[in-house]
Amino acid sequence: MPADIGERLRALPVGSAVAVKLDPREYADHYFAVLNATLRDIGAEGGNHTIYVAVTSPASFVWTLAQALDVAPDRLSFVDAISHLMMNYANPLANATYVESPRALEEIMLRVEYLLRRYPHPRTTVVIDSVNSLAIHNPPELLSEFFHILLNNLKTRQVLTLVLETTDEEAASVEQMLNLVVDETIDVARGGR
Amino acid sequence: MESSSGGAAPDRGLARATTSLPRCATGIEGLDNILEGGFPVGNMVLVAGSVGTGKTTLSLEFLVRGAERGERSLFISVTESSGKLIQNLSTFDFFRPELVANGSLVFVDLPVIYHKLGLEREELAPEEIDILLRTIEGLVRSLGVRRLVLDSLTSLCYRIRRDEQIRDFLLRLGGILNEAGCTSLLVSEIGPTSGRYSTHGVEEAIVDGVVLLWNNRRQGDILRVLQIVKMRGTSHSRTQYVIELTPIGLLMAPHLKGAGPGGGD
Repeated sequence: MPADIGERLRALPVGSAVAVKLDPREYADHYFAVLNATLRDIGAEGGNHTIYVAVTSPASFVWTLAQALDVAPDRLSFVDAISHLMMNYANPLANATYVESPRALEEIMLRVEYLLRRYPHPRTTVVIDSVNSLAIHNPPELLSEFFHILLNNLKTRQVLTLVLETTDEEAASVEQMLNLVVDETIDVARGGR
Repeated sequence: MESSSGGAAPDRGLARATTSLPRCATGIEGLDNILEGGFPVGNMVLVAGSVGTGKTTLSLEFLVRGAERGERSLFISVTESSGKLIQNLSTFDFFRPELVANGSLVFVDLPVIYHKLGLEREELAPEEIDILLRTIEGLVRSLGVRRLVLDSLTSLCYRIRRDEQIRDFLLRLGGILNEAGCTSLLVSEIGPTSGRYSTHGVEEAIVDGVVLLWNNRRQGDILRVLQIVKMRGTSHSRTQYVIELTPIGLLMAPHLKGAGPGGGD
């Protein structure tokens, strides 16, 4: 399954925006498969850098998983928009920048911009984890506008963007909104097809 | 985020074809985008905002970027000491101390000038205002200054108290700077809910442009917001932008409006 996701991502045109669907019943397996494909397979390729926007789990948690995958610190940066809210900010990571609230959507955009400029790489992947978590804190109109601006901007910069999405019936409106702004959808439950 | 994805004034495209004034590029990419290349050269611009909104930082970056381009830049400080300002600048990646050492970026403490000129009275008399203006003119001309920041006009105006004197001071200062081809930013300190752009209310009518900065609250979170309210000689965006003061300079993103009219303000 991870190999399939990696292949799908490699086959995408430059600057694509992709919704990556995770099944909540197999969340841990699916999430790890996406991390593996993004950070290890694609991320290990020459000149690639990943900016991980952490809204579901703190950057420190994701960084622990990334280290288990042997990801080098200079290959991965974080925009962490959840640690402050969770009062989990005592030991900030050197490769992370922190936004105080997942409601400060413009600041999330600006921190991604900052990292793109501060650490320019030939190829960059942005992972947004996740649209569901952002939807908890933000009204749909604001979220639509956020994704519309951010994804278009990243497209012009030739950045591959992955938006993680947990599929369930309650998230139908989020899924509809996301479908309007992404180029492709990868369903991990279907082996990346 | 610095592409012009924010809403533009409807006439910008039309005006672009007829606008050909030389520009003073701020070096702040987002700001230059919404100003169609920068401030028109010689414009005197009010940078108005309440505390902590980024007025001084924006002004300093404007000067440093200019000095880097070979345009001599002058910071006239009314309240904060030059040493402290330079110390603060050292936290920015885009600042090189050599710019100060080689005279490209000049800092002047206005209280020192007051003292040297013997302007010790609490309220400046008309002839003392004249002396002050001639001193600034002398600095601008002798140093060949192309960019000037006065931080803050509000503090200076504590000593020029009458509206008509402030108006006259600004008209003359604007004339001097424009003639010298010097683009200037005058910092104006206003309250968070003042509803105007200066203490006296006359300043915004005289200057060529107004850049407004304020803190916007969204469900308890504070966002720094920038808007160009007025800019003579250019067709400019009138939309609101959220700004971030980073070590690589000021970054801008469109202020999201989805929260309701006015983007939640």
